[in-house]
Amino acid sequence: MSAHKPGEPSPETMAALIEIIGPFNKTGAELKPETRFSEDLNFDSLVVMEFIAVVEDHFDISVPLNILPDIATLNHMGLAIEKIVSDDAS
Amino acid sequence: MADLLDRFAPLMAQRDALFNENGADPFQVKMDEVLSQTEAVIEGRRTILVGTNNYLGLTFAPEALDAAHAALDAYGTGTTGSRVANGTYGGHKELEQALCDFYGMKHAMVFSTGFLANLGILSTLMGPEDYILMDADCHASIYDGVRGSQAQIIRFKHNDAADLDKRLARLAGKPGNKLIVVEGIYSMLGDRAPLKEIVAVKKKYENVFLLSDEAHSLGVLGKYGRGLPEEVGCEEDVDFIVGTFSKSVGTVGGFCVSNHPQFDTLRLVCRAYVFTASLPPSVVASATVNLGLVQKGGALRKRLMRNAKKLQTGLSALGLQVASEDSPVVAVVAPDPQTAAVFWRGLIEAGVYVNLALPPATPFGYSLLRASLCAAHTEEQIDDVIAIFADVASRLGLIAPAEPQRTAVG
Repeated sequence: MSAHKPGEPSPETMAALIEIIGPFNKTGAELKPETRFSEDLNFDSLVVMEFIAVVEDHFDISVPLNILPDIATLNHMGLAIEKIVSDDAS
Repeated sequence: MADLLDRFAPLMAQRDALFNENGADPFQVKMDEVLSQTEAVIEGRRTILVGTNNYLGLTFAPEALDAAHAALDAYGTGTTGSRVANGTYGGHKELEQALCDFYGMKHAMVFSTGFLANLGILSTLMGPEDYILMDADCHASIYDGVRGSQAQIIRFKHNDAADLDKRLARLAGKPGNKLIVVEGIYSMLGDRAPLKEIVAVKKKYENVFLLSDEAHSLGVLGKYGRGLPEEVGCEEDVDFIVGTFSKSVGTVGGFCVSNHPQFDTLRLVCRAYVFTASLPPSVVASATVNLGLVQKGGALRKRLMRNAKKLQTGLSALGLQVASEDSPVVAVVAPDPQTAAVFWRGLIEAGVYVNLALPPATPFGYSLLRASLCAAHTEEQIDDVIAIFADVASRLGLIAPAEPQRTAVG
């Protein structure tokens, strides 16, 4: 993985995330780390569930429902994905 | 400052858009008279009920009515107390024993509703180190139950044992118990869990338990009505069964049965059991009697499934999209919520009550006219329902008119 700032997911994770969000981006919001799912992308609970299912397939992980309340931005999502991937590997 | 309930404004606007004109509102149906298990008076009209989950039609079973009347007279209208305080009467213990006998299980706990049974059991069973793997299409009470749990909550794809397998494999080697949660019959479309496949996956891993919510399958599946596990022959592999008395048992109340040796511990720690009043004695009496009728209800089950098949075949033959098969639930898919709402209103005005089910409460974002059959429906009633569906659907342009229109001559 390429170097990236602490507190931010890797550019690879972010690129994958942005690609996944594409079809879900109905508001046409700019997709950057600080983009918010609820306010900027207008995700409701149903869309969140569909989106998580695609994330799970792409990264081959299970995203526990418990962490969803703490995920407000793409940045949070990317970090959570990386944590699950590294936990699964350990 | 925004009003307390302003955040629901989009939902209310959506509702108003669907039901803005005067006429029946599906969320405010009032039964003025209940004529039988299958008929009521709504807005002055005699209406065939095809959406009550009263699968076996036991709500007016004479034996249950007698027992309920006797209990009412002997014990009063309510217990006014929790099961762990003054709210356990002899009848509550008899009902729990009846459940143990019915399922052939060692332990049973009776809750005040099925919703509370799921809430109580799912929030309590698993601890902070544990995992709950739930089918994505599980009922709201399961979602609310697991939300109260300290365990990690993972959803697997609906009815996809391979997806469950993949997720359990990721957890292999991690400490903590795992609980798989499925439903015998899923309420919206009436489809069944692939229980044998789920059990096979469960057996591949250590420390995995299985809970099946049999709300819609109790009394409906299995020779003796014990639901999907009986039907497919894997009862000993299901560790916890949750169910309700509010469907085929014809009253209200919930339960959980299990062979777990320490099951009774839950009586002290399940908050939805401890901190709510117990069922009224008359309800307990009718549930106990009706449970016996459910067990002996092979003929009712046959009639229920025959009725369901007749409605499913009839509606499919009209050209409607029916998303259910081999199920007491017959769900018709409408193209969008607006059409579904108009369709529903056309049915109610013609004297047919079904459930209107809209996203997000439905799978695949379906807008559904959801019918559920009753063993007590007559063939004539089902013919009437099909004819009324045909009439409303053709007026909406969803299907071609059933018969050629007579053309004016000259």
